[in-house]
Amino acid sequence: MKNLYLTLIAAILIVSCSDTEALNPVNQTRISDANAFATPQRIEQLVLGIYGGVKVGNFYGGRFFNYQDVRGPEFINERNNGVTNLFTWSFGVQSATNEVQNLWGAAYTAINRSNIVISGLETATVSAALKTRYLAEARFLRALSYYSLVTLYAKPYTQDNGASPGLPLRLLPETSSGNSNLVRSSVADIYNQVIDDLNFAELNLPLTNGLAINNTSRAHRNTAIALKTRVYLSMGKYPEVVTEGNKIVSATAPFTATSGVPNALASSIGTVFARATTAENVFSFAYSSNDTPGTQNSLVFYYNSTSNGGSEYSLAPTGIVSNTGWKTTDARRSFNVVTGGKTWVHKWTSPQADPDFVPVIRYSEVLLNLSEALVRSSNSLDARAIQLLNAVRGRSDATTVFTSASFTNVQALLDQIAIERRIELLGEGFSSPDIMRLKQNFPAKGLAPLVITTDTQYLWPIPLNELLYNKLAVQNPGH
Amino acid sequence: MRLKLKWVFSLVLALSMQFSFAQERTVSGVVSDASGPIPGANVVVKGSRNGVQTDFDGKFSIKAKVGDVLVASFVGMQDVAVKVGISNTVNIKLQDGSVLEEVVVVGYGTQKRRDVNGAIAKIAGDRIKDIPVQSFDQALSGAASGVNVSQPNGVLGNQAVIRIRGVNSITLSSYPLIVIDGVPSWNGDNLNQNQAANNPLANINQADIESIEVLKDASSAAIYGSRAAAGVILITTKKGKAGKFTVNFDSSVSFTKPFNLIDVLDAQQFTDIKNEGLRNAGIPANGTTRGFYTMNDANGKLVDTNWYDLIYRTGVATNHSVSISGGNENTKYFLSAGQLEQEGMFVNNDFRRQTGRFTLDQKVTSWLTLGGTFNYTNSRNNGISTGSVAGSTFDSSGAARLAFAQAPNVGPFNNDGTYNLAPTQIGQGNNLTPLQWPNVKYILDNNKISNQNDHFISNFYVGLKLAKGLNFKSLYGIDNLLVENKDFLGPLNGNGQQFIGVATNTMNRYSRKSIQNILDYNVSLSENHNLSALVGSERQYSKIDAWGASRRGVSDPFFNEYQGGFNTIVVSGNLLTENYLESYFGRVNYDFNKKYFVSVNARRDGYSAFAPDNKWGNFWGGSLGWNLTEETFFKNIVSSDIVNQLKLRASYGVVGNNQGLNDFASSSFYDAGVNGSNTTLFYNRAGNDKLKWETSNKTDLGLNFGLFNDVITGELGYYKNDIDGLILNVPQAASAGIPGNSILANVGSMRNTGYEATLSAKILDKGSFKWNASFNITSQKNLVTALDANNSDIIVATQLENTNIIRVGQSIGNFYIVQTGGVNPANGRRIFFHGDGTAVQYDHSAPVATRWTKVSDGSVTRAANQALDAKVMGPALPTFFGGFNNTFAYKGFDLNVSVYFSGGNYVYNGTQAGLRDQRVWNNSVDVLNRWQNPGDVTDIPKIVFGDNVSNGSSMPISANLEKGDFMKVRNIALGYNLPKSLLDKMKLANFRFYLSAQNAFTFTNYSGFDPEISSNGNANGSPSVDRNSAPMARTFSFGFNLGL
Repeated sequence: MKNLYLTLIAAILIVSCSDTEALNPVNQTRISDANAFATPQRIEQLVLGIYGGVKVGNFYGGRFFNYQDVRGPEFINERNNGVTNLFTWSFGVQSATNEVQNLWGAAYTAINRSNIVISGLETATVSAALKTRYLAEARFLRALSYYSLVTLYAKPYTQDNGASPGLPLRLLPETSSGNSNLVRSSVADIYNQVIDDLNFAELNLPLTNGLAINNTSRAHRNTAIALKTRVYLSMGKYPEVVTEGNKIVSATAPFTATSGVPNALASSIGTVFARATTAENVFSFAYSSNDTPGTQNSLVFYYNSTSNGGSEYSLAPTGIVSNTGWKTTDARRSFNVVTGGKTWVHKWTSPQADPDFVPVIRYSEVLLNLSEALVRSSNSLDARAIQLLNAVRGRSDATTVFTSASFTNVQALLDQIAIERRIELLGEGFSSPDIMRLKQNFPAKGLAPLVITTDTQYLWPIPLNELLYNKLAVQNPGH
Repeated sequence: MRLKLKWVFSLVLALSMQFSFAQERTVSGVVSDASGPIPGANVVVKGSRNGVQTDFDGKFSIKAKVGDVLVASFVGMQDVAVKVGISNTVNIKLQDGSVLEEVVVVGYGTQKRRDVNGAIAKIAGDRIKDIPVQSFDQALSGAASGVNVSQPNGVLGNQAVIRIRGVNSITLSSYPLIVIDGVPSWNGDNLNQNQAANNPLANINQADIESIEVLKDASSAAIYGSRAAAGVILITTKKGKAGKFTVNFDSSVSFTKPFNLIDVLDAQQFTDIKNEGLRNAGIPANGTTRGFYTMNDANGKLVDTNWYDLIYRTGVATNHSVSISGGNENTKYFLSAGQLEQEGMFVNNDFRRQTGRFTLDQKVTSWLTLGGTFNYTNSRNNGISTGSVAGSTFDSSGAARLAFAQAPNVGPFNNDGTYNLAPTQIGQGNNLTPLQWPNVKYILDNNKISNQNDHFISNFYVGLKLAKGLNFKSLYGIDNLLVENKDFLGPLNGNGQQFIGVATNTMNRYSRKSIQNILDYNVSLSENHNLSALVGSERQYSKIDAWGASRRGVSDPFFNEYQGGFNTIVVSGNLLTENYLESYFGRVNYDFNKKYFVSVNARRDGYSAFAPDNKWGNFWGGSLGWNLTEETFFKNIVSSDIVNQLKLRASYGVVGNNQGLNDFASSSFYDAGVNGSNTTLFYNRAGNDKLKWETSNKTDLGLNFGLFNDVITGELGYYKNDIDGLILNVPQAASAGIPGNSILANVGSMRNTGYEATLSAKILDKGSFKWNASFNITSQKNLVTALDANNSDIIVATQLENTNIIRVGQSIGNFYIVQTGGVNPANGRRIFFHGDGTAVQYDHSAPVATRWTKVSDGSVTRAANQALDAKVMGPALPTFFGGFNNTFAYKGFDLNVSVYFSGGNYVYNGTQAGLRDQRVWNNSVDVLNRWQNPGDVTDIPKIVFGDNVSNGSSMPISANLEKGDFMKVRNIALGYNLPKSLLDKMKLANFRFYLSAQNAFTFTNYSGFDPEISSNGNANGSPSVDRNSAPMARTFSFGFNLGL
């Protein structure tokens, strides 16, 4: 009898152990896709998560600026290190080169985050006002991402009015397999989408976000307009640049935005970096010690020669630093620090572990965009254009004042505006796009070669990890 | 005597009432072996249920008839059958069992080797006990067929690479399931969280291991169902034995240092070669802004630093363990303690372990047994950045690379005794061209990297005897591992520099409990039919709870602990995850007259990580065995004096794999992040709601034999693992923006096939001289048969460099390499081949746009690159491996020589790319044979400063691919046992001294440090890559074993 009981107990122990709850554990540290849009707080965080996607180290956290800068004539690679953009600098990138794959991946991850939010908002329980605002922010960031990609991976719009292959244009969320194949839309289609997104953003973004930090680190109406001046400039659509620029630049000096956030030049260039949230900082990505771009990604790493930096790129002696019109008394020269016989740009100084903000749009750029567009659209020594140029120059160098007499012809004025851009925006990611939109060649510097507009390396290749799995994507010619 | 006779008489009388008179009587005797009486031996009357156990003095008494056969048996001894005659006393002498008689541990039980149909390798604990390693896995190389165990490199505590019958997964783990005393133990790469290697297997004291069984086929492993695809290793620790009270004390001291270091340039050679490079690049040293120049120290002596001397050392180790074991029929115990202090070959790489173990088995009543084991280990590994732990190969602070890449014309210190430092690297001395690498001396002195384990492995069981042959066992096991990782990286140079000093502490709690209930039935239905059956269930809960932080920006050079002064803090190492496995299993073994054997295993597993509809999987294995030597016809053909054992076996089964799978693999998630000072949420994981088990269909055919009364024994086998539903990260077009650009899906398939042979022989047994030898060899062939729907190649990186590829129709992890064709004698340029076969050459001194030219006409062409030009080469996996173990004994001396060999594969010698890199790195002396003048024939291209292409730093090239065949005398041990006469005087049971050499000799043509290499550790898809890894260590030890 005892044995029977024991046997019974044994049998019960063997079969009585099903634990359905343990078989379906709930992850305590991640939010399930089933309820990511469940609360207004989560939706707000999802929108901020798109910013997080654009500002990663491989994109606006630092590397993207560096790519755009070191293709141009201003910098010398000091480390000969393939990991830190050597091949971008020396025009040796291939479809499998890290920077080619990583930038593409980071930007499309951000685009997908935008698309997920845009789609998720359709059914989300959040007020209509917030919904349109969030949609506008998502579309603004999507526009910034597509615009950034199209400047490197596709022919400049200005070469053939955007007829060349652009990018796979993804506007729907991707969360499962099976959608890898997608043709490259034309450059024009990409720009049209960017403009469409920015127009929507302009209409639906708030006029102001209140606090200075929010006006700098989150998009508001003027942010979208400011970006449009840059996008139209890239398209060579100068009248449109003027139209957009006039929305946020007053007719006469001192130039300011007259509605929305009162964007204007800061009194001193010295105050617009670090973690500046001045009226000049139209749009920046914010960082903190808990939010860094990661190892070998940040701007301070690439450009700074102190122990906070990596001394990766010094200023080419043949670059804009040699410009004699750039006076030694110009406040912007103070960023050029000489160590070890070389000159380095020290716009970014905080440690990589607690880095500076990344300035994406400064008001001085908007002024220079408008200045150039005024000249190009009128083909004249436009007086306001010269005033805008003087506003930027005079802020850092009061001793230089341009007048129409300073320029023998329109081209001379355009050349001076270009020089001003190179001085004012040095190290801020404008070098390559400015050369490409004007269909110029990349000059040789150091051991890096001259690259002319028809060279294969003028454009980046479509990355290998796109071509392998997107059977409809075609490579850029020559790559 | 009279009294006794009277007692016997009355007993017989009493019995006669039940049974026919005078047929049965009590037979008594002693069961003994060469060393004396054996307590606890079984004595049964053959063909009946009548059986007893011998007592403490080896005595037994049993009722038997004249003509009955008494069969005595004891673990590890050969059964002996004795016919009962007229005498009432039957003394039985047992002899050491043959291989076929040994008891092997199987899943949830034990079996005799003879009865095993599956493929199981057994390695006795004694064999590995004295080998000077950190963990038992490192001692298994060449020990058994089908089991390839290799060391990734000589870094202390590095987990051995274990492959049982090939690589059995692509994305998940190919590391076997490790079961310690019935409870699956924590192991795996996820425990390597900093550069101090952490292998939890090192938490087992080798001296505590009784035996290691490796389950290789489906028949033996299917009882572990879903976790058995890569094989199972069962660790059985020592237990007390009735009657035999013993004390063992083992002690040793060892000396370890690296061997086969590659000679690098000295200061003058370095200076000359680098200046030659500048000259050839058209930018000669000019004395002002460029060039390399030697310097003198304070005494006017040339600074000529051998960085090897600063980084490597002769490490000293001591190892002590003591155990007490004993017991009686009712109570058995084993108690042990161990203390290991080991210095590695790297300066500041030290491993320390303290272990304590207690095992108790208590028979409470005739039907109830209780028992359990408690093991506690504290181990601590102080490491350094070696660049030799998987995933860190290109670490710019990796000491293994710094040892050969740092410029020798500068020293670690300035003349004033301060560290020679520049802001981000070593100070450049008199060189005008800046150097690149950090000062390793500063790093060694200031960085502290450690992990500390507190590992509790414990189980408690209740055994119930429910009826004759019917037993129930309930086991509750825990395996709790607490890992504390602590890093401090100094602020001035190396990995801590960018953070201005960083201290990172993480605490990781790995907890697991396992509850098993097993009902076991053994019966001889009649003399010829033997049946055993087992049913059971198991629940296993596992959880990892890890958290930590990184403090950055040290406020004062004084601080080097996490609790010191820092200005920022960020989270580090957070992880909270759990899984649950629920299982029901059973096994039936049947044999007819020990002639025909059938066994069937089945298991149903539910696992939490799989998709809701696919959580459950069914796994099974079946086998047949035929013992020919029991057949009359066979006995008539072949004398049993020639062939004493011959058994054919065949098995097939389907097992699963979930090892290494993320606990929430099937789910989609959003993760929280930070944007400046705001919290964010973002889509970060695309799940797959159809995810299910990987399955491995395993076939095993084999035969086991014993010749000339087991003078020669052996085993031949064939295996085939067909693996389906491999879970792969199916790549998605990058523009889809899916996190990680991939989604897990069950899409791939792969096959491993091979043959195994084991041959053991008692070659000589002449008086006092004995020579036993055992040889095993395994062939393996891997074939990837399907990947995703597009059969997309999977390119596998060695951290930053794409070295390997997984391609359908190839062996897994073959190399993906650009072909090179030597050095053009005309101009000294490296020749590469485009994918179409066009020979092109590279000149780093030319303008970037014209560096690549065709060899044929010198016209400018495109750069060679991996995406367009690489070819698949290999195999990377060895096609054969094995071991050869010889034991010689002469009087009190014993000599053991273990050989491990492996080959048929290639090794990618990426380290050589670094050794010949023409940036500011130091070079191996072979660059002195560089091309210099037209007509020079050499394999070293013209030196051009900055050239990182010609020698393979920017893409893997075939010039660095070498054959990986080697034979290594893994261990030689010479021992001397004190003679019995002396032992008796000293009242000792045994006393043995020994000398041993680990990694004594290597025979190979490989030009790197060592062809036994894995820069990627246990990674499936990137084997045989040698990239900046440390060499191996050679260890000499001296020790003794003492028994009371």
